[in-house]
Amino acid sequence: MKISVVIPFYNEEKHIAEVVTSVSKYNLPIVVVDDGSVDASVDKIHKLKLRQVTIITHKINLGKGAAMKTGADFAFAKGADAIIFMDGDNQHKADDLSKFIAALESKRQGVIFGSRNYNYSVPLVRFLGNKFASFILVILFKIYVSDVLCGFKAFTKNAYNKIRWDSTGYGVETEMIARVGKAKIGFLEVPVQAIYHDKNKGVTILDAFGIFVEIIKWRLTI
Amino acid sequence: MIIALQIIALIFSFSMIYFAVIHFKRGEIRKSEILSWVFIWSATVVIVIFPELLRKFASTFLVTRVFDLMVIGGFILVMSLVASSYVRTKKMEKKLEEMVRHEALKKAKK
Repeated sequence: MKISVVIPFYNEEKHIAEVVTSVSKYNLPIVVVDDGSVDASVDKIHKLKLRQVTIITHKINLGKGAAMKTGADFAFAKGADAIIFMDGDNQHKADDLSKFIAALESKRQGVIFGSRNYNYSVPLVRFLGNKFASFILVILFKIYVSDVLCGFKAFTKNAYNKIRWDSTGYGVETEMIARVGKAKIGFLEVPVQAIYHDKNKGVTILDAFGIFVEIIKWRLTI
Repeated sequence: MIIALQIIALIFSFSMIYFAVIHFKRGEIRKSEILSWVFIWSATVVIVIFPELLRKFASTFLVTRVFDLMVIGGFILVMSLVASSYVRTKKMEKKLEEMVRHEALKKAKK
């Protein structure tokens, strides 16, 4: 099975080189999607001079969902059978990639969700928001995923074609799960580690409110 | 009091006509749009000067005061403009997203 790793990022000059270097040890094709960064993130990746890395650049910042879609479209167009998404902020451990690879190669399910092992370092608002999103998805789409907002996940090409999302922003994580629930696609969850380097980045309370409104919209439109 | 309100409403209406003409001269709005805006604000001017014109119309809809009818009309107009702006913005966002993603993929495949 040909597996590619897709890493969307925006202004991650502090972490992106470390993320790409740690993933490169697996010798998998890596697609990094620069979502209109204005810092030196892309230069840091170029300096690594890794042959298996393809850099795709959005001229302007579109949002995480759009960057993920661009990366996935590219990887599948280049012949990948499955892709693994990782965040570019170094919150995920490359060691956990082996769990996704094993799960994909077992061909048991087409969708693999990462589930972060919550500990005391997780901001309370983020934890509660995540659990609330899980609850709403169970009510509206009859699907329970323990860590809705985890960006570490994998899809086969077949599954991706069924759940290709419209969201351009952070709503993408919940839309994917809503589509998996609606299409009744089987999925697995694998435990992953998470380290929060920057608590000010990621989903804000305002984003969370927007996501909640979108979940209701998807219930009516998907 | 009523005259003061009428003066404010007239100044506002004429200002809006002025801004509409300016945007038309800059080529930012179409001929049909300038005509619509001039019609809306001219009608507002006439109603502000001769509010009695709407009295019969207001009583038909069981609205006691002409002022209330104008507020209701203004609210409906604003809500429809917000809805149409929302749809247009969403369409623009979608087009922009497709263009940026298409360009990025084309460049990466070279």
